[in-house]
Amino acid sequence: MSDLQARGHEDWLDDVAVYALGAMPMQDAQRVRAHIAACEICRREYALLQPAVGALAESAEAFTPGNGPIVASPELKARIMRTVRPERPGAATVPQTDAPVRRSVAPRERPILWPVYLVAAACLAIALISSISDIMLSGQLKQSQAELAQLRSRTNALASALADRQAAISDLLAAGAKHYPVDNGEVVRSGSRLYIAMYDLAAPPRGHVYQAWTLPKGSKTMAPSLTFVPDAHGVAFVSLPAGASETSAVAVSLEPEGGSKQPTTKPLIVVPLD
Amino acid sequence: MERVRKRDADAFEALYDAYHRLAYGLAMRMLGDASTAEDVTQAVFVKVWSSPELFRTGNFGAWIARVTRNRALDVIRSRTVRAETDLPQALPESESVEDTAFARIDRELVRSALASLPDEQRRPIEMGFFEGVTHQEIARRTSTPLGTVKTRIRSGLRKLRAQLEMTVTT
Repeated sequence: MSDLQARGHEDWLDDVAVYALGAMPMQDAQRVRAHIAACEICRREYALLQPAVGALAESAEAFTPGNGPIVASPELKARIMRTVRPERPGAATVPQTDAPVRRSVAPRERPILWPVYLVAAACLAIALISSISDIMLSGQLKQSQAELAQLRSRTNALASALADRQAAISDLLAAGAKHYPVDNGEVVRSGSRLYIAMYDLAAPPRGHVYQAWTLPKGSKTMAPSLTFVPDAHGVAFVSLPAGASETSAVAVSLEPEGGSKQPTTKPLIVVPLD
Repeated sequence: MERVRKRDADAFEALYDAYHRLAYGLAMRMLGDASTAEDVTQAVFVKVWSSPELFRTGNFGAWIARVTRNRALDVIRSRTVRAETDLPQALPESESVEDTAFARIDRELVRSALASLPDEQRRPIEMGFFEGVTHQEIARRTSTPLGTVKTRIRSGLRKLRAQLEMTVTT
C-alpha cells in the first residue's frame, strides 16, 4: 500500500502547506520533503504556495508595531559598512565571521603605543635579569667544572693506584721476584722495584707511624723512605720509591708521626738485599 | 550581486539600501526587539558580503528573507526550548516567474492581503512563519485539532496566493 493510499492525498497536501510555511518539525519535514520529490501533485502544490510564503516575509517590511514605520538605525548601516570598507587597498582583510559587531565597539580603534621610557625600562629589566642569570649560570658552571676536575683527578688517582696495585701484584707473582721473608711479612724485589708486605702488624701507638728505610749501596747511613700504618686487618703493603739496583738493605722502624730523618727506635725488620 | 562577488563595496552598499528594510522588517516582526533585529540584520548582510557564493540564482529578496528568517528563528530558539522546525528547501519552483513577479508588488498590498484572511487562517500562518512555532504547537496554543490547523494553513496560503496573483494581474 502506497503512502497516498494510506493517508489520502489531502493529508499530504496539508502537510505540504505546513512544510512550505516552515512550521513542520524537523523529523516530519524529511518525510514530507521526500514525498514532494516523488509526487508531482504535491510538487505543484508546493510551487503554488511557496511564493505566498515569500510574500509573508515581504509583508513584514511594512509591519508597524507602533504608530510609525519600522526604520533601522543609521548606525546599523555604518556598522555593516565598516566591515566592508576596510577591504579597500591597504586596509584590513575581510572578516570571516558573520557575528554582529556590537554597538559598544569604539568607532576607531587605535594601536596601543607604549611610552619610550616604559620600553627602555622593560629592556633594562630584561638586560638585568639576563645578566644575573648569566652570572648565576656562570658560577654554577665554574662550580660544576671544579667538581668535575676534582672527580677526574680522583678517578685518575684511583686508576693510577689500581694500575700500581696491578703492577705490584704482577711483580709479587712474577717468577723472577725474590722474596725476603721476615717476621710477619716479607720484602720483595722484582726487577728494579722493591716492596714491603707486612701481616698481623700491630697498629702503631698514638702519634706514631711505621717508617721504611733504605740503605743506598756504598752508604752506611739509612735514608728515610715512606711512612705507613697497617689497615684494620694489620696488613700493610708499601712500594718503595728507591730502585732495587741502588739499594743494599731495607728496614722498618716505629717513628713519631710525620717521620724521622734517622731511625729513632730499634728497627722491627732489617733485610739485606743481595 | 555579481559585483558583490567581485568585492565591490559600492555594489554591496546599494544592495543593502535596497533590501535592508526587508531583512530588518522581518527580523523586527519576528523578534519584536529593535536591538536584536539590528543584530540579525547585520549578521545577514555581513554573511552576504563574506559568503556571496551562498546565493546562486533567483530572487535575491526571497533568498535574503529566507536567510533572515533562519537567523531570527535561531534567536527565538535560543530564547526558549521548543521543537525545531525544518525550513523548506529552495526547490527550482521558487525561482518561477510568479515568484519574481510577487517580489515586485507593493509591500502594503501584501500586508493587506494577509490582513484580509480570516483570523482562523491568518493567525496560524503568522505563528508558523513569524514566531517559528510548529503546527503542533499552534494546535496546542489555539486549542485546535492538529488536522484542522494544517488545513487552515493550507487554505490561508492558497487564498493569499490567489489574492497576490490577482493584485499582480490587475
